[in-house]
Amino acid sequence: MKTAEEARAKGMTRAEFLRGATLAGAATAVGVLTGGEAAEAALTRPAPKPARWAMLVDLRKCVGCFGCQVACKQENEVPLGKYRNWVKLYEEGSYPNFIRHMQAYLCNHCDKPPCVPVCPADATYKREDGAVLIDYDKCINCGRCVAACPYGARFLNPVSQTADKCSFCDHRIDEGLLPACAQACPGRALLFGDLKDPKSEIAQRLAANRDKVKTLLPELGTDPQVFYIPMYPGEPIPNR
Amino acid sequence: MEGKNDNAAAVSRRAFLRLSGGLAGAAAVGAGNLLALREASAAEVAEVARKLGNLEVKYTADVMCPSECGLEMWVKDGRLYKIYGNKSCPYNDGTICGKGSSGAQMVYSPHRMKYPMIRVGERGEGKFRRVTWDEAIDYIARKLIEIKKTHGPEAVIMDSGDVTDRDQYWRLFFAFGTPNCVEHGAICDTPRRHGPKLMLEGKRIEPDIMRPVLVRQPDGKLVNDYSYKTKLIIYAGWNPFVATRIFYETRGTVGTKVENGCKVIVVDPAYTNTASKADQWLPIRPGTDPDLFAAMLRYILEHDDPADPKRKYVDWDFKKYSLGWDEFQAAFKSWWTKKDPINGLDYFSLDWAAQRTGFAKEQIAELAHTFGITKPAALIWGMNGTGHHFNGYLASILGTALNVITGNFDAPGGAIDTEIVKASKGGSATGKQFNGRKVTRVIGGKAVEGKQEELHMDSFGDWPAAWDDVVGDYPRRFLEGVTLRYGPFRGHRYPIKAYILRTGNSVITGSATWKWQEALTAKDGKGDYKVDLVVYIDTPYLESGLYADVLLPEASYAERVSLSDIYPSHPVIYLRDQVIPPLYESRTPTDIMKMLARRLHELGDPDIKPADFWEKYKTQDDFVNEMLQPAPGRANVGQPLPYPNLPEGYTLLGTPDSLEAGRVQIDHQRKVVRGEPVTAAWLRAHRGVAVWPMSWHRYRTFDKTRNEFVANKVFPGTGSKLIEFKFNKYAKYNKLIEEAKEVPRGLKEIGFSKYPDTFYWFETKWNPFTNPLYQKYAAEFPFQLVSGRVHHAMSGTQMVPWLAEARSEGLWRELNDPFQYTVTEVNRRADRRFLAGDRFTPKPEVFVEGTWSVGTLEMNPADAQRVGVKTGDLIELTNPLGKFTRSKVFVTNGIRPGALRMGFATGGRFSPGLGPTFAQRYYTPDHNTLVDPDALSPIMGQPAYVDMLVKVRKV
Repeated sequence: MKTAEEARAKGMTRAEFLRGATLAGAATAVGVLTGGEAAEAALTRPAPKPARWAMLVDLRKCVGCFGCQVACKQENEVPLGKYRNWVKLYEEGSYPNFIRHMQAYLCNHCDKPPCVPVCPADATYKREDGAVLIDYDKCINCGRCVAACPYGARFLNPVSQTADKCSFCDHRIDEGLLPACAQACPGRALLFGDLKDPKSEIAQRLAANRDKVKTLLPELGTDPQVFYIPMYPGEPIPNR
Repeated sequence: MEGKNDNAAAVSRRAFLRLSGGLAGAAAVGAGNLLALREASAAEVAEVARKLGNLEVKYTADVMCPSECGLEMWVKDGRLYKIYGNKSCPYNDGTICGKGSSGAQMVYSPHRMKYPMIRVGERGEGKFRRVTWDEAIDYIARKLIEIKKTHGPEAVIMDSGDVTDRDQYWRLFFAFGTPNCVEHGAICDTPRRHGPKLMLEGKRIEPDIMRPVLVRQPDGKLVNDYSYKTKLIIYAGWNPFVATRIFYETRGTVGTKVENGCKVIVVDPAYTNTASKADQWLPIRPGTDPDLFAAMLRYILEHDDPADPKRKYVDWDFKKYSLGWDEFQAAFKSWWTKKDPINGLDYFSLDWAAQRTGFAKEQIAELAHTFGITKPAALIWGMNGTGHHFNGYLASILGTALNVITGNFDAPGGAIDTEIVKASKGGSATGKQFNGRKVTRVIGGKAVEGKQEELHMDSFGDWPAAWDDVVGDYPRRFLEGVTLRYGPFRGHRYPIKAYILRTGNSVITGSATWKWQEALTAKDGKGDYKVDLVVYIDTPYLESGLYADVLLPEASYAERVSLSDIYPSHPVIYLRDQVIPPLYESRTPTDIMKMLARRLHELGDPDIKPADFWEKYKTQDDFVNEMLQPAPGRANVGQPLPYPNLPEGYTLLGTPDSLEAGRVQIDHQRKVVRGEPVTAAWLRAHRGVAVWPMSWHRYRTFDKTRNEFVANKVFPGTGSKLIEFKFNKYAKYNKLIEEAKEVPRGLKEIGFSKYPDTFYWFETKWNPFTNPLYQKYAAEFPFQLVSGRVHHAMSGTQMVPWLAEARSEGLWRELNDPFQYTVTEVNRRADRRFLAGDRFTPKPEVFVEGTWSVGTLEMNPADAQRVGVKTGDLIELTNPLGKFTRSKVFVTNGIRPGALRMGFATGGRFSPGLGPTFAQRYYTPDHNTLVDPDALSPIMGQPAYVDMLVKVRKV
């Protein structure tokens, strides 16, 4: 694709390129743009600043299917018995006033990640776009970050002999693809996107549901970038 | 566009803003569910796959469950690495469930069949020796020829198990001369489909929530419309979030609920995953769905008031598009004055229904009122819930009627019969034409001529109206043989000598397991097996394989070319492509068909002709292309008209682009528009998928002279081309009965002398609350046992470890004992990141207690207290027939007291091909052990899987 190649030549990642296309497209017209036209439109705009990636988990749409969990296991080659993301089922109430909750969890990609300062090897770091990642070459498998994470999002991977956790599928988002879980989600309960882009669906959804949105353990001051809309308004979201 | 006052044409500004996409290749800009990143094009995905791992991207269709979602598979060097949803396929719109994502663990399962095998021990022992394909095919062909000579070709049953990719086998066996080619539909949900089939020539009514739908706009453009319209869905005994047959119902239900304020009500004894997202859960007493529907219909008819907007339930326009309502209503009302023998109340009254269902009568009135007043709405009934009851027909007929009279049938946001709007793939490759051959049989010393199809064991035997066959009754016929009772061959008797089973597992799912085992191992006086030849063709090695003489390994779904089998809201079809070569010595269905055909021909079978098989189908594509010839095969009807450039009411054939561009030939005499044929190659060039436009109200057209909508007499495809409340479809079966003067066994059982002309009623079996015959069992057997599907753990996918890490309701929980097993693990490279060299290889693993999901049973805490058990305890369940199974208990308030629910085929699995599930067989439940093999629903003969009573004791 000529236009995509040109974009790369200008130093844009594919994600920037596609976000540009979205912005341009939204500004141009609703409805029909061919892929080629969208790409051309993208090039007429300056490359956007780095994103601030975040995930919105709309529990009103989580159907408890574990699709996100399996999609992640496939994508990130997570060993049996270990999880980068997971779904918890728990029950409440008595018959017939009964609720079975379904709760999807992943790394919160905290803005103030408690796992980063405890790492003695500088292996854990936060990227400019907000993704909290692990440099597996530097990781010494000491487990301090696992202990420091209040959300239980990290584990020691017995195969790679390193700490491990959700990476927001950085290898995919850097190429302009959604994280595997967000693309897979059969109920479309997982919405991934750029908080800095006010036109992104996640920004709009968060704005429209400001009174409903919750994060896990906000009192810790970690500032999670994974947001939840509870199934029932005002309901607390239990940690892990 | 005609009909300006039509709903579909009235696009509000808000709806317009949510429209997106367009013709192939258009960007989904401005979509309601637009993701932050624009959806990548095929070329862009291909580029990323190359960059990440030098992978190639192929588009295909799933087959791990009957939903068959569109998939994107990433492959390299003939190995399958990644599976994602195909965004170009509106059925799943890029989404994928855990099962879909885990497919490689099935493809690379160490437990799949690798080589052809021939039995060396007794049936059931599972002792086989490895043979060559030539030897296996020769063995089968010689047996078939011998059986044909001695007993006639009709003594052979070809049971294709699933409908998917079965046509090669059906073609071969129709050509061989047997009409007895059958499918799993017979044990799936035939009573559930019955009403739509009778009244609409349809099958599955689903809510109009597949999004996007491709819709013609007033300006002539086609756009992908993501907006939801549905305002009420009632799911009775239907759990789409877990059953997933109609995969778009997952995102569509929560989508229309959250984004469109749709109310969702779930009627089910169990709190299903679908109930967890509903506004209301109504835990009904098992087996009383028809009772609830009948009370709703009575309430609506008694309280409908066209003049009162608060009680304008019925859209009386439906009478323009239907026939026989007056007769239907009269037959329905005739019950209103009859007294129920158990509760003494008037049939279908609120009090009566309250007694039966266990609801307060106000709840039932409220439900009927809500359904009557809320539009658009859809009333949906399910498979395990309603279709698996002896009297499931009644819910199905009443449900269809309720959707029609309230104006919801095929309305935007209403209830769509997906069977009659999906794309056709029924080209002549399917071999049905062979069934019309003239054949002669000697009956009572006289030679009688008839058609091959008139030898059918069900249609002209004990089950004349069983248009989906009667697999549940096969054990009896294996033991007793077949007697034809209707048609020209009346009096003809033949044994069943060969049972060819392909991708089914009838021993576990085709009614009572023990009955199947008995029939397949029964011997005649000479010590030979009564069924002389049993062949098992599949990718996994399931229980039925243990009873086979020959095992043939079939290429998995990633290794063969065929087509999706799906139920969308408008014509959509996609390719199942061969993305990797067949593994081990497995072969594709096309190859197996050709090998067996060639050998039969070589051995002198006069009915197998080279021109019908190996000369005709050089490649798998040849076969698929012939199947695709009638696609999409739907008429240009409804609003907005799919192709305003083409004549309304004409049948459409050909690719979407040729129809769009008008590159067509129009046959005015036959009312057919013929574009360029859809082919496998065309599909590959279009991300695997063909999508033709959506329209609604496909049964009507706008009559300009009368200035009103009238029936178009094209859709639905009933005999009258109208919605039929008079059951004309039964007429031909009644003719057979009259000629033969013999009432079929099923009708006799419910006291009918013929198939009814319109509304009818009878009670279910093994239900002491509705059928007086079973009241005597209630004290000793206090629990009603029902089953539920576990998506992760259907009959043939339990070897997949990732799915054992996922849980489902109270039916598939991490209550395992510790065990060791060799499973397919994904081998993450020690040096991290994306792709390893050698993924998905078998490894021995140790599993500790409580980490692995196994089949379990749901029990209410009140019952658990009475029985003295807690979650994790083992119980034994015994039915009045003396059969028993064991299960660990999952105690939950999410089940009605007095009801127990277990998964379908989740336990007691005794084939080592199941992988780790095999290791759990002693404490996981085989629900079908408890099914009454003689409880076959009276019209279609489907087993009454969920009509059973049990007692329990702690083990």
